[in-house]
Amino acid sequence: MPKVYNWQLGREMDYRFEGGAAKRQFAAVFNINRCIACQTCSMACKSTWTFSPGQELMWWNNVETKPYGGYPNHWDVNILELQEKANPGGQVWDPAKKDPKTAPYGTFDGKTIFETADGVNTMATGYIPPEADWKAPNIHEDTSTAIPAGGASLPEHAGWFFYLQRICNHCTYPACLAACPRNAIYKREEDGIVLIDQNRCRGYRKCVEACPYKKSMYRPSTRTSEKCIACYPRVEASDPLTEGLPMETRCMTACVGKIRLQGLVQVDANGEWIEDRKNPLYYLVHVAKIALPLYPQFGTQPNVYYIPPRWVPRPYLRQMFGPGVDDAIAAYTNPTRETLAVLQLFRASQRIVFGYRIEQGPKTGELNVGGQTREIFNDTIIGLDSNGGEIVRVTVDEPTAERPGQLNSL
Amino acid sequence: MLLELVKRRRIAVGVVAVLALAGVLQFTNTNPAVSQTLYLTAYESGKDPGLNPSNGAWKDAVAVRVPLTAQLGSYAAGGGTVQTVSAKALHYNDTLYVRVEWKDATQDDASTRVEDFSDAVALEFPAKTASTVPSVCMGQADAGVNIWHWRADSDAGLKDPVEIYTGASVDGYPSTDTLFYTARAAGNPYANPDLGAVQTLVSQAFGQLTTSTVQDVQGKGAWANDAWAVVFARPYTSEGPDHAGFGAGARTDIAFAVWDGSQDERNGMKSASQFITLSIAGAKVPGGGGFNSTAVILGAAMLIGFTALGIGLGVYGYREGKR
Ligand code: SF4
Ligand code: SF4
Ligand code: SF4
Repeated sequence: MPKVYNWQLGREMDYRFEGGAAKRQFAAVFNINRCIACQTCSMACKSTWTFSPGQELMWWNNVETKPYGGYPNHWDVNILELQEKANPGGQVWDPAKKDPKTAPYGTFDGKTIFETADGVNTMATGYIPPEADWKAPNIHEDTSTAIPAGGASLPEHAGWFFYLQRICNHCTYPACLAACPRNAIYKREEDGIVLIDQNRCRGYRKCVEACPYKKSMYRPSTRTSEKCIACYPRVEASDPLTEGLPMETRCMTACVGKIRLQGLVQVDANGEWIEDRKNPLYYLVHVAKIALPLYPQFGTQPNVYYIPPRWVPRPYLRQMFGPGVDDAIAAYTNPTRETLAVLQLFRASQRIVFGYRIEQGPKTGELNVGGQTREIFNDTIIGLDSNGGEIVRVTVDEPTAERPGQLNSL
Repeated sequence: MLLELVKRRRIAVGVVAVLALAGVLQFTNTNPAVSQTLYLTAYESGKDPGLNPSNGAWKDAVAVRVPLTAQLGSYAAGGGTVQTVSAKALHYNDTLYVRVEWKDATQDDASTRVEDFSDAVALEFPAKTASTVPSVCMGQADAGVNIWHWRADSDAGLKDPVEIYTGASVDGYPSTDTLFYTARAAGNPYANPDLGAVQTLVSQAFGQLTTSTVQDVQGKGAWANDAWAVVFARPYTSEGPDHAGFGAGARTDIAFAVWDGSQDERNGMKSASQFITLSIAGAKVPGGGGFNSTAVILGAAMLIGFTALGIGLGVYGYREGKR
């Protein structure tokens, strides 16, 4: 198998095809800390793309309660177990083998799903979750690990759960694509969006088997597999609604908790992000490093990044997001002025923000977080489109208005 | 009953012999794709065999047992759960009929659940334009192949899940136009509910299998007593440019592949044969059944040859030992 570079793992790895990935890559940051599990995102996707016969069990976007929930049930535990069986005791990171650009989280010394496969019978280690596993998408909702008598306090809650928002990761090295014996899956050069050609697909479900995130799904009414299409008519601005300007996807723009920010980043032939300091995604992932990939050890180089939940035991989070967790939580807990400003861009506009500019504002507050004093400045961040034109401007202090007393008696 | 047994034994002897011959051809570097190995002869049927695999017309046709092996060469490799198929051929009214039977304890004729894969069988022929015997692995540039692919789920018909799970409650579907069956709207033949049981495909290289623009093969399968029997039928002449060509007195090649759905077999994960010779004989089916005389004669010759060789070597060894 050819070798490709996976910067999330800090090393080369085996993949069925040569690199030569996309020029621009669809990417998103999800702030787990803010999600309220309202499922508006899930419904936005379903009511747009998956409301027809045969799609009943399909949730291209789903939000599951961790650690017990999963759609399909136990998908991540199952993959982790298969990988552990294939490489017992070897699925470990070396956080010390680090490089700010090529290995920001250290080096993964274990095996990816491509490396535990034989390349003849399978291209990636995986399994097909049976139908029953797709039938309870929100199972174990809000189920905590414990209800501690003394309540909960940071840094780690004694009883905990959190919501995990999931869509297809439009991976740089998609397992679904590698597994398709008909080459019916392709990754678009212009935005890295991974699509299944509905004419070529023959329903072999090798993609369903191989995708570690279980985001390729089988549709019995057409005997083909379907998956999240990253709302490409919006992203490529061909949807009349966009008026020619790239627009974020349905699940992003519908987000009530304002936890999501999606865009397009520039990548090189290795799938590494080209420095673009004022792209909010580049900033969050590569400068502030507060957003991390989901199960990077699977090896697909997923492109949805998560700000990990602050209250969850770290070993669990490290297994899920890699060794970058501690730094990410520290940086999120005590954000810099710039980070605080960039976080305001989440759901400020439906348009894709390609860059930003910050206008400094006055100090408006001071608070104490974990023994540290933090000053708050009411900076203004201006979101820019791909031509540098202004899309939106937001301030760190959310404007508030007090309702006049007499109206309260109405 | 006794007669059946005798017949079966004759066939078995013939098969062993031709397998030995196949081995020798391989050993002596004779191109095995030029298939002098096994013979399937289509005699003229006295009556229309139709598509029903249990039609009496098949009673007297001679069965050839064709060995299958797993596909191990290239991704997605695997399969090999079915070891042999039993093939018969007839012709009637300028139409070729092929009947394939194989053991399969499970009838997998649905692909409703994500874990359900359909049983299937395929026949492969050289395209009529082929200038040489093509590679059995999906053909080559100067010699394409024509594949007839029967799927149990296609034979059973494509349904929406709500038609299958009759107890399911659904609030409603905003639209059920073809447009919303994406693959169907994209022209994917397997997503079309009007798809016949057999798809005709053409290929000129590994990984280039495509559905033919001309669909002129009919087929029907029946599962009983832990076995599938499937009948294929196609008129001798076909409009499809890369299709197989047949005619009275003609000889061509035929290969077989079988998928067992309950073993998750699909695509390259299959049990497949090499090409064997298919000849279309002008004569009527020899009455009262029969056996593959060519194979048995060849086999007998081989056996005599081997025996002679064995005796010769034995004598030689004895003499050597005496020195
Ligand atoms: S819409 Fe936003 S807040 Fe609501 S469940 Fe989805 S990601 Fe969470
Ligand atoms: S998440 Fe799964 S379906 Fe999506 S691109 Fe990656 S491997 Fe493919
Ligand atoms: S990006 Fe679009 S298609 Fe994908 S999950 Fe979100 S709404 Fe659905």
